[in-house]
Amino acid sequence: MKPSIEKLAEKGFLFSALFSVSITILIFFFMVFFSFPLFKGGDIAKFFTLEWNPYESGFGIVPMMAGTGIIALLALLIATPFGIGCSALISVFSTGYFGRFLRKVVEFMTGIPTVIYGFVAIFLLVPFIREIFEKGTGMCVLSASIMLALLILPTIILFISNAFNAVPKNYLDAADSLGATPAQKLVYIIIPLAWKGIISALVLAAGRAVGDTLISLMIAGNALQIPKGLSDAARTLTAHIALIIASDYESPEFKSIFVCGLILFIFTTLIILALRLLGYLKILRNR
Amino acid sequence: MNRFVEYQIKLFCWISGIILICTIGILLAFLLHKGFSSLNLPLIFGETRPLDGLFLKTRVVDGLFPAIVGTLLLILTSIIWAIPTGVAAGIYLAEYCNEKWKPGFNLLLDILAGIPSILIGLFGFAVSVFLHKHLSEHIYPCFLISSLALACLVLPYIIRTTEQSLVNLPFFIKTTGLALGASRLQNILLILIPYNLSRIISGIILAIGRCAEDAAVIMLTGAVAMAGIPDSLLSRYEALPFYIFYISSDYNSQEELMKGFGACIILLLICVFLFALSHILKRRAAKRFAIHI
Amino acid sequence: MKKIKIRINNLNCFYKKKPVLKDLKGEMEEKAITTIIGPSGVGKTTLLMAINRLYESIPDCRVEGKVEIKLNTKYIDIHKLPVTDLRKKVGMVFQVPNPLPMSIFKNIAFPLKLSGIKDKEYIKEKVEQALKDAFLWDEVNDRLNDSALELSGGQQQRLCIARAMIMQPEVLLLDEPTSSLDMEAALKITELLKNLKGKCTLLVVSHYTSLTKEISDNVLTLKDGCLKITENSKIVDESSVAN
Repeated sequence: MKPSIEKLAEKGFLFSALFSVSITILIFFFMVFFSFPLFKGGDIAKFFTLEWNPYESGFGIVPMMAGTGIIALLALLIATPFGIGCSALISVFSTGYFGRFLRKVVEFMTGIPTVIYGFVAIFLLVPFIREIFEKGTGMCVLSASIMLALLILPTIILFISNAFNAVPKNYLDAADSLGATPAQKLVYIIIPLAWKGIISALVLAAGRAVGDTLISLMIAGNALQIPKGLSDAARTLTAHIALIIASDYESPEFKSIFVCGLILFIFTTLIILALRLLGYLKILRNR
Repeated sequence: MNRFVEYQIKLFCWISGIILICTIGILLAFLLHKGFSSLNLPLIFGETRPLDGLFLKTRVVDGLFPAIVGTLLLILTSIIWAIPTGVAAGIYLAEYCNEKWKPGFNLLLDILAGIPSILIGLFGFAVSVFLHKHLSEHIYPCFLISSLALACLVLPYIIRTTEQSLVNLPFFIKTTGLALGASRLQNILLILIPYNLSRIISGIILAIGRCAEDAAVIMLTGAVAMAGIPDSLLSRYEALPFYIFYISSDYNSQEELMKGFGACIILLLICVFLFALSHILKRRAAKRFAIHI
Repeated sequence: MKKIKIRINNLNCFYKKKPVLKDLKGEMEEKAITTIIGPSGVGKTTLLMAINRLYESIPDCRVEGKVEIKLNTKYIDIHKLPVTDLRKKVGMVFQVPNPLPMSIFKNIAFPLKLSGIKDKEYIKEKVEQALKDAFLWDEVNDRLNDSALELSGGQQQRLCIARAMIMQPEVLLLDEPTSSLDMEAALKITELLKNLKGKCTLLVVSHYTSLTKEISDNVLTLKDGCLKITENSKIVDESSVAN
């Protein structure tokens, strides 16, 4: 092939790569650009107050941050034991038919659209929760956390079970030859060697839980308050963006969602940096 | 560790596995049970005659047909944007990028892959606002903006699968062509890419799946409940995920709700089909490697 | 006086700043089989890759010094040739047979395709000739369109030799071409190499000493980063020391 074509192709590849990474920078730039007028006005402190009352220029987004944090944390708390249990089952206890079946189910779960989880939850889980609490609509922190836990479980399970499988075989052989039972292998060898993998899985799942829009939008209730109990409705940052978007372009109310966006962007960056620090990003990229 | 604790650990793992499978089983069973009865031609075409609707002779008003077509068109357009850019960028990262730049590229791409989809939607929306103010009054959130935003959403996945499949090739395969006198570009186009085609395609299909299921991006960038089949890149459109979301919050009758369940099943079928296809291709790629090594 | 095909002068090779080859000097005779032996991990493969500049695609590998190859009676520095031209003149066969995942015919014709040759009749003729040269024609002439991956290991390796020979290279580098094969297949390859001697200069990296002894015209030992000429009769001793 002619050297000129060769050169041209290389330029093309370079351009595509630069274009792709510039999207990240552009997103950051746009978030800052649109929320900048509010920073400049000096009333940025208002955003971090409790009040959301657009008619009296109260644009506090603290309730949304609290809602995001509480729902994501709760989802992680629910998902973590299940996640570790299922990955241990797949990688250690049941390497036979059931384990393979479970892995297939989990992989299948990654293919289910989020909006379907939300839709089914409205008609299956929400009435059930309503019965339990005997008050409210059932659209509350608990319902959202449960569904969110289900949504992030495949991420957790696949990641942890990959980390478990990455434990060198000769260590396991050594344990086997000393007469260790599977449970002993899990507790004494696999978990101590794969703890970084477990933490990485949880960090990654936290990122997904915070970033999810549809579940919290559909079943968390979207009330503008800091939730005080499991049965309270709450609004997340992501749902807030989706709900406010329809308003007027010029209003400060509209601009405030870019502050939410900026917060989410920074959060994502922190998650990625944490994963880098743990050195587990390679596994992630390989999947 | 005594026997009792061991037994409990094992029991816990089995219980969590079984609960997970039961939950998914109940979820799917509920969906099928509710939606199965509504799966018929009127669900898709409403009161229009199916063939007329299919060939766009009559506008389908109360069926899912526009939403299905909208979703498919959206997937197609986004993928047309994303594939060339993604594959080219993947090739660059795997074959050309020097070590000094790589960490920077990697960090930015990892962030892009991790960004919540609503942010991509917000970005698309902001771009359309920006263009509306500075370029043309006629630009609103629309089909074009949606497809571009979705392309941004799936771009990192396509880049990564391309890059990884090229990087993970054994050294002797990478050098076979070079040793025969192939230039760098010839080696990439004639050996590395064909060798990895099924893997790259499997990654692309997973990306298509993400385009099909995503609701957060499109609800910010131009999907609406009633628009019919889009007639230009600048028009608004319907899509299945948005339709499902819309029905869930705003249904007026039992009949509409049933249509929502029907839409769920159709979307699920599309996603599961794409997912299975990608899985099969990945398997085949793995087998091919196994024979060769 | 021997005719010299390749001259190596002060060749230094580094992998991640660790020197692999130090101040290497050596000469390879034209139209003869030169065998390079030596303990494993001493840099024999690196030496071959320095000759066809394949080291350039190994990350963290750096080569200094001069390697010259005689083309039309003139010695030319390999770094002054375009790399793709060089590799068409210096073919290479690897330790593990590496047919590409395409048909037997397309595999052999692949280098022609790289050179942009489109004449179908010419390609057909060339492929047939290359397969005959590699003693493979009789075994595969009725299934040229089958996948090359279905061939046996020995057949695959001969296919790779045929593929490397189709461009009529001046030098053929072979990196332990028989070590992944069974005895019978290895013997066939050895036979084939003897036959190729008249056509081009062969440089074989090997540790099969009995094979080495039988076919080599010259034997060089690579040890501690240096090349030494070894008398043919002494090979057995060398290897018994090495093992």
